[in-house]
Amino acid sequence: MQHKQSRKTIVITLSIVIFFFLAWELGVFLTGTPVYLLPAPSRVIQTLLSHPDTFAQATFLTLGEALTGLMIGVLAGILLASVLTLLPGIEDGVMTLAILIKSTPMVAIAPLLTLWLGFGILPKIIITALMSFFPVLINVLSGMQRVDPALYDLFKSWNASRWEIFRFLRAPSAIPYLFTALKITGPLSLIGAVVAEWTGASGGLGRTMWLAYTNLNLPFLFAAIFILAAAGMIIYRIITWSEAKAVFWQPAQTNS
Amino acid sequence: MQISIQSLSHQYFNGKTTHALQDIYLDVSQKQFVALIGPSGCGKSTLIRLIANLIVPSQGEIKIGNFHPKQAIENGKVAWMAQSPALLPWLTVEGNLRLAERFQKGKNQQSLNVEQVLKRVGLESAADQHPYTLSGGMQQRLALARLLLQDAPIWLMDEPFAALDELTRERLTEELFSLWKDFSPTVIWITHNIHEAIKLSDRILVFSEQPGHIVADIPNAIPHPRLENNPDFQELLFKLRSILHQDSTGNINHAA
Repeated sequence: MQHKQSRKTIVITLSIVIFFFLAWELGVFLTGTPVYLLPAPSRVIQTLLSHPDTFAQATFLTLGEALTGLMIGVLAGILLASVLTLLPGIEDGVMTLAILIKSTPMVAIAPLLTLWLGFGILPKIIITALMSFFPVLINVLSGMQRVDPALYDLFKSWNASRWEIFRFLRAPSAIPYLFTALKITGPLSLIGAVVAEWTGASGGLGRTMWLAYTNLNLPFLFAAIFILAAAGMIIYRIITWSEAKAVFWQPAQTNS
Repeated sequence: MQISIQSLSHQYFNGKTTHALQDIYLDVSQKQFVALIGPSGCGKSTLIRLIANLIVPSQGEIKIGNFHPKQAIENGKVAWMAQSPALLPWLTVEGNLRLAERFQKGKNQQSLNVEQVLKRVGLESAADQHPYTLSGGMQQRLALARLLLQDAPIWLMDEPFAALDELTRERLTEELFSLWKDFSPTVIWITHNIHEAIKLSDRILVFSEQPGHIVADIPNAIPHPRLENNPDFQELLFKLRSILHQDSTGNINHAA
């Protein structure tokens, strides 16, 4: 039954995607839109296939920056959420600082980091980490703080210490919240890396896009966008799959 | 282990002051099974939360044997069971019990181990299952097993079976009675079901509406098994109903 349902979902999803691309292809063909304004999907795929090495290298670099930054941001978010849960007295001060960082536009920080740290991968990793950090901090902190009151009472009745409550109750309770954050920050990490590359880089999909944009080479630009969209989708799918395995005790979301 | 309460009052401060309990004097002797009944919000839960040291009283004193509630909790003298079974969903049935056992180490001399308590409540075949695969009744059985494992001389129970269907509730109250006969703890049990209160307890305390105080303290010496067609059962039922329906501003009514 479940298998049948998932097959139905795949068919519907594929149909929607195919319909979208067919409509785009047909729209470009019928309106005669020039390629420097909007290339047809067939032209974009042709560009992708004719420069496999260029795109593969750029993708590898951007994905490396994005995933490294994501990992650092996620670890920092979890670590800080844990510290704030164990030492609630410092929460207000630290959260003010975190909100200050979050409120600073990344497009303003990215060129500064490039200026200070050069065209290498470090500024990209820092930007991605900064973008990933805040959603993880907020979500994991909520998960650790909003534990089931009945379970909290039970631990108190066992005379559990703050650390024991953290270890056996708060930390596992925060896992579903961590996955909610990951579903936001996973695809967002790619945007972080690309935005940072736009401000100055020696390679990567962001630089490929920037070069294509300045040359009005839109099939190249769209080819990079296609890769980013596909990578974002794959990252999201990996996260939702991992969530189903890790948070096995929560029923799957239904909308029927 | 007996419980002695002197001049106990409690207020909640939540923008405005709510007088939850007023002037409670109560002595519960060792191995007594006391049922607390009364309208919702009359402070019954507050009273047992105070005994379990989950909250600190605004005024008055509670002694559990020679201990203050905090010391009683530290020494594993009190076991807590709430309406929600309060199970850790990421642990198996056995895992939940092992965790409880971990917190029990060095407190009471355990009369039953994990395997034995599972057998006692009829869950031995579900040891490897996770709580979400169990029915509501089985989940409360597991909570009972955990209570047994603690081997505490005092059991505080806040409507543990209220959320269950009638048949399951009946079975579990019978199970509770049988456990009480076998292990002889002092039980303070909140219930909204007057029939259950008469069937199980040997003393019934009726609480008034807010601010909660004891309006009737009724010993229940009807011989077991307490069948509902027993005239004494019907007489006590009628008495309790009339007290609950009266304006609850009277003094303690010590029944003959």
